[in-house]
Amino acid sequence: MSNLYLGSFVDKHSFIRSLDARIKIFYVVTLSTLIFSVRKFPDTLIFTFVILFIISIAKMNTNYIVNNLRRFFSIFLFLFLMYIIFSSNKIFEGIIVMWQFLMLIMISLVLTYSTSLPDLTLAIERLSTPLKILGIKPRNIALMISIAIRFIPVMFLRLGRCREAMLARLSDFKRLKTIKILVITLLEHMFGSASNLSDAMSARLYNEDAMSARIIRLGRNDYISLIAFFMFLLWFLV
Amino acid sequence: MIQVRNLFFKHEEYFVLTDISLEIKEGSFTAIIGANGSGKSTLAKHFNGLLLPTKGDVIVDEINTRKNQVEIRKKVGLVFQDFQDQIVYPIAQEDVAFGLENLGLPEAHIKKIVNETLEKLNIKKLANSNVNTLSLGQKQLIALAGVLAMRPKYIIFDEPTTMLDGVNKKNILSIIKELNEKEKLTIILITNVLDDLRYAKRIVVLKEGKIIFNDRKELLDKKILSEAQLYV
Repeated sequence: MSNLYLGSFVDKHSFIRSLDARIKIFYVVTLSTLIFSVRKFPDTLIFTFVILFIISIAKMNTNYIVNNLRRFFSIFLFLFLMYIIFSSNKIFEGIIVMWQFLMLIMISLVLTYSTSLPDLTLAIERLSTPLKILGIKPRNIALMISIAIRFIPVMFLRLGRCREAMLARLSDFKRLKTIKILVITLLEHMFGSASNLSDAMSARLYNEDAMSARIIRLGRNDYISLIAFFMFLLWFLV
Repeated sequence: MIQVRNLFFKHEEYFVLTDISLEIKEGSFTAIIGANGSGKSTLAKHFNGLLLPTKGDVIVDEINTRKNQVEIRKKVGLVFQDFQDQIVYPIAQEDVAFGLENLGLPEAHIKKIVNETLEKLNIKKLANSNVNTLSLGQKQLIALAGVLAMRPKYIIFDEPTTMLDGVNKKNILSIIKELNEKEKLTIILITNVLDDLRYAKRIVVLKEGKIIFNDRKELLDKKILSEAQLYV
């Protein structure tokens, strides 16, 4: 089951770990936008150093990074092949784009490595508060994320079980019909679970207007990081 | 007290429950037993207003389940048959806090109740665990903690031992017994396993949606169990 969790949280004390999850989400979004907006090699190099610096102060394990990046190998390979086939004159640009993609994954890994799931969902709930104007309930967004994280591994487990049960009765997965049956069986299971979950939530008085009661405030480290981050932005953009 | 008065429940074209009348007194331990498809779980969902009668009434502490479901659900907790689907959040203590957040309690109060509940069930060490990595027995205790945290007066256990091994079966039954004896909670145990009846004081036997026995456990005999297809 553990291999189903991409970029799981590691409870290790560090400066990055101590930051408010809302601030970390803000950094990830801003850095990702900046990384993809630069096209020159020196700029990409600057961001590489920034991300390596963040990784080092997050005290991230090298194995953790390598293991997580390995899962994206096929995507990198696919992207690279596309550049070779369709724009062979732009191979260097292709390498830079892939490198930027790699940095994007690394910065997201810093977020998941240093932020517990409750902190992350709470931050998303709080950051979604302005959406109330549009009639979107922040608690529903946070709950959707939590339910997805809770039930996606369950879905994979059920998929494995259904597949094994079908294989035991000599199903041939090369046939489209067999795959169709597998998908329908899995969907039936998931709809059953969804119905049970809905009943269970009603039984525990689910209230979409209620917000998480946890109080979160910015701390000293958050302000230090914000000053450093804006100074870097100012230097880079000017 | 929970009072069920001439309850009929129709699902699609046929009646799942027919003319059910019973009373569950405060502090009692009642087991509702019946074969598969006898309507046990359907009846259980009527106790906390998840299902409403087609005809008749279910009254919990003088509140009709048709009228104030929020109050009813505060009073009546339900541990589902498939407790794995009952757990909403991936982190154990977050899930235990789910119902309390819905009640709008302040953070410090929620933390206190969550800690107390986890301690009571001796699962404090699981507080920060990812639910997906826990065993079935542990998941059931987390589901129970989520219900207990809401401090209900009545708890319904819908087939709590079906998915468990011998050790976990014994554990959950002794926890249920303690909740009844020490915490003075009213227990309604839904089951089709005769062994689960060991701590129950009153037994209700259902057959094809009808009550065929409703009395003290001592008066339950093999004839009734055979009739309900529970004893061969």
